[in-house]
Amino acid sequence: MVLSRFWYVLLGLFLGLSVFLLSIATSMYNRAGARAMGEALSSDSQVVAWYLRDDARQRSGRLIQFGVDPDIAKYLQKSSDSEAKVPEEAREKLLAALKKVNASIPKDEQFDSVFAVDQAGRVVAHLGYEQASGLSDFELGGYSVVADALRGYVRDDTLILDRIYRVVTRPVEFDMGALPAGAIIGARIVDDRFARELSSRTGAAIAFYANGERASSGAPEGFATGNLDQIVGDMSSLEQDPEYKDKGRSKVRTIGGMLGVQYSRLPGEAWQLGGGFAVARMPGAVDGPFGFFKAADDKDKQQANLPIAIAVAVAAAAIGILFSVFEHTRPISIFKNEAQRLAKGQTDQLQPSRFRGVFRKIASDLNDGMDQVLAKGGGPRRGPADMKQVLGDIPDQPQMSAFSFPGDPASMPQPISANTPPRSVPNAPANPKLPRPPGRPGLPAANLDATLSSEDASAPRRLPTPPMRGAVDGAAAELAEWHAVFQDFVSLKQQCGESTEGFSYEKFEQTLKKKNEELITRHGARRVKFSVYVKEGKAALKASPIME
Amino acid sequence: MNACHTRSGSSRIVGLRRSWPLLLAAGLLALPSTADAARIRGRFEGFRALQNPVWAEAKDPKNHGYSFREPVPTVRAEFRRPFPHIPKELCIAAIAVGPQKAQPPVLIRVGGGRTTPVTIVVTPGTRLTFQNTDPFKHKLFGVGIKTFAPGDTGPGATRDWSVPAAGVFEIRDEAAPSLRMWIVAEPNVAQAAYPSMKGEFSLNVQEPGDYVLQAYFAGKKVGPATPVTVAAADVELKVPVKVNDKASDASAAAEDKTKATDAATETKEGAK
Repeated sequence: MVLSRFWYVLLGLFLGLSVFLLSIATSMYNRAGARAMGEALSSDSQVVAWYLRDDARQRSGRLIQFGVDPDIAKYLQKSSDSEAKVPEEAREKLLAALKKVNASIPKDEQFDSVFAVDQAGRVVAHLGYEQASGLSDFELGGYSVVADALRGYVRDDTLILDRIYRVVTRPVEFDMGALPAGAIIGARIVDDRFARELSSRTGAAIAFYANGERASSGAPEGFATGNLDQIVGDMSSLEQDPEYKDKGRSKVRTIGGMLGVQYSRLPGEAWQLGGGFAVARMPGAVDGPFGFFKAADDKDKQQANLPIAIAVAVAAAAIGILFSVFEHTRPISIFKNEAQRLAKGQTDQLQPSRFRGVFRKIASDLNDGMDQVLAKGGGPRRGPADMKQVLGDIPDQPQMSAFSFPGDPASMPQPISANTPPRSVPNAPANPKLPRPPGRPGLPAANLDATLSSEDASAPRRLPTPPMRGAVDGAAAELAEWHAVFQDFVSLKQQCGESTEGFSYEKFEQTLKKKNEELITRHGARRVKFSVYVKEGKAALKASPIME
Repeated sequence: MNACHTRSGSSRIVGLRRSWPLLLAAGLLALPSTADAARIRGRFEGFRALQNPVWAEAKDPKNHGYSFREPVPTVRAEFRRPFPHIPKELCIAAIAVGPQKAQPPVLIRVGGGRTTPVTIVVTPGTRLTFQNTDPFKHKLFGVGIKTFAPGDTGPGATRDWSVPAAGVFEIRDEAAPSLRMWIVAEPNVAQAAYPSMKGEFSLNVQEPGDYVLQAYFAGKKVGPATPVTVAAADVELKVPVKVNDKASDASAAAEDKTKATDAATETKEGAK
């Protein structure tokens, strides 16, 4: 049992350790996923910022085509020279020139809107901004990006007008020694198309926002764009983020327990107006140890060492079964066989030496128990007794049993009749190989066949109640019984090959008397019945208190 | 008083029109000139040393106004400064000796990232009508002015506000950070006007008498106060009104000195 128990403990520890390790692995995986997501978001945010800047730079180069067009420069100068009103001719010629130049630009590099502005900031002509159609006094000169262009700078800006616009400007020169004749302004609308294009080029899920609302969004395949709607609810607390407030880029924030988001302000006027963009990612996380099964793809499963896992499981099971067979099944089987042999009468008692561990102790206890029962005169029979099996060969003539029955000494010589009340089973050795106690001279042998009649076998057997006699008669009977026991004992010792030299009745009587008093005192018995038997090849004496 | 004039100096009575030059004229004109009116003609000098505060702030990389800003080498360095558009930003006012009567409503045009005019000098109590000329809404408010709280003004819509008392008031727009306007409420102002791109101005003064010419820029006085006595005849100022003080000159000189490295630095910081 020790090995089995040790194995159970080992398996328990291993199972607990496995659960613990899986929990740690889950936590580490989720933490690593969150860290990777944070790094990826920071990278996404920078990539988007770089893209916006690079895109603006490249598109500002496209403005050169407008700036060097002779008609554009000429009619912008003409408009600038007319402080009171923009000449209609200038409007018409500029519009035609803008269309011509814009048509020469590759479609994917064209602007959504182009404006030609004179020195006063008045929009002389524009393309793609239908909102301003018919507004003769439409101007853009107050914006710093336009003012800079009118003063000789190329730069970008992000304006939040009716929508978000990425704007680039550059001056248009007519006379190199004078102020620029005007400026050309190219704008891209930051709409879903722009966001999708940006997302496809950067690989990031991105949403632009302004005035506390999502303005546009784009996401790569596999990322639900609807997730980006969650940023609206998160933006209310965004201004509390010191990094966002000071540096224009927030820490990585988690929305709804899963979605990782990092916010960045857009450069330009949009910075002051709270306009910006958010990049978002879903973290690589599992919701528990079993989440690995869902998260693992075919490649992961291929890399897992399944044969070793199976071998460990089989080995553990085999060891457990082996220990179980060795310590449980096999001893029980042996015990079962021995018990069956005992039940069949093939043996008188269990052989403790054939058992191991606790079974040896059980066998020994069972043997002792059986002896105790026998010493008490046997227990109630549960069925017809096979007398021959229990007592061995029964002699033809009645002979003295190893057990004499207490009672009236006067009746002792009398043979027990068939009507005698049931008596206890004689404490005779059941093993026929063991020597039987010899018959005692002077004492009639009990009629065992009559004692154990089949009709009384199922009833509780009681010792016959002795007739009340005087104390003298009782003492004499007891002495006579002790003499008989002495003779039986001496005879049994001789049969067992033991020496009886120096073994006197007086010593024997002293021993019996002492034992008699001790047992009567301890158990409150009426008297004590002594009998002889063979124990481990030697004659032994057994004392049985009689309670009735 | 109550009249500003156009860059040509001719005054006209106009109402609110849809055409922006007419609207501008309507905003700038308060009273018609009469046959008795006298003109004061003059010229500003050094106005390119002035700096539009909005544009000057915007070019500072710390304000994150751009991701790149680079000078075009073919544009002369003297032009690469955030000097103001003086026809809207530099106001010349004739200040009388005593208080002047109240002015009729003045139209202020809101569009293109600024107001027209940017700085205005009026008497207290003058009603200003702000008209949105952009195709999108604005949200004007007075800085520290309880009677001018932020409010939406849709495309083409107007919003009125009366100047409560003497002083300087600043108007901003929550939807356009570049929009900043200054209203100077001066009880003795008789007339105000704006110069042309070249700095030339002309004031129509209704009543003969002694006046002081004072230029205002971004809500502040710039240049010296020039005393003028107006009689029946027009007055031609022989000395230009210098609006750049020493500090402005020093600043301009310093800017010229650093212009060569300015662009590179801005580009680097912008990139950061």
